[in-house]
Amino acid sequence: MARARGLSGPLFLVLGMAAGITVGRRWLDVVEVRGGSMAPSLLPGDRLLVESRTYRLRAPRRGEVVLAADPRTPERELIKRVAAVDDASGSAELLGDDPAASTDSREFGAVPLATIRWRAAYRYWPPQRVGRV
Amino acid sequence: MLTIRSLMRPSRIVDAHCDIPCGIYDPEQARIEAESCLRIIEKHDASEDKLFRARCIHVKEERAELVKHHLDVLWHDYFKPEHLEKYPDLHDTFWKASKQASKVKQSLDAAAARELLAMIDTIDEMWKATGGPEKTRVNGRPS
Repeated sequence: MARARGLSGPLFLVLGMAAGITVGRRWLDVVEVRGGSMAPSLLPGDRLLVESRTYRLRAPRRGEVVLAADPRTPERELIKRVAAVDDASGSAELLGDDPAASTDSREFGAVPLATIRWRAAYRYWPPQRVGRV
Repeated sequence: MLTIRSLMRPSRIVDAHCDIPCGIYDPEQARIEAESCLRIIEKHDASEDKLFRARCIHVKEERAELVKHHLDVLWHDYFKPEHLEKYPDLHDTFWKASKQASKVKQSLDAAAARELLAMIDTIDEMWKATGGPEKTRVNGRPS
């Protein structure tokens, strides 16, 4: 996501939160992580700032941490890392960072890009691990 | 009123999930049912009571079916592609063990039941070598 260099983390966080209110959580939102499949990058209970701007402008890229509807239970929202993007079929492979503790594309296959709308941008909780995702 | 606290409250939960329910796996579950099969076959063979023998057959078939179920769960839920890289014969091992469980279900062959136990022990070794005891059992059980 394009943003000015030099913004310090906490400032970005505050601006992000403020922007979040103004756009009514359509562009920015805060979510809590449940489960350990993204360890050690994300741990259960981590709280994240997520944004939906980027994927309106371009497709998700390999390496990004994204929210996606669970293809088997669409009302559930998953958080996983993009392992591969196939532009031809418009789908992405999602994997957990801890493969032994993850149910992901190895099991349910690639997911349509259209079901990936949010990108995990920033962890604001817990305080000792604040930073970009 | 909007406070920092309310702003920081997550609007929803996102799942870095591993399949619900529990991620608890242990080949011991299959082994206990297979041990039941073996013991029931022995009791069947030692008895003259027709009714008892009929019950033995009935219960043994149920237990053998449970062996197959527990093996299936381990096979498609616990074991993952990276385990297959480490154990290229993983699928074959499970396939043969399931077939062996069918054999135990169909017959009263104690040797077949012992063979099934040995096959489950092979799977148990794979489970242990892939970190199963640490990852898929709850710690703290008195030993």
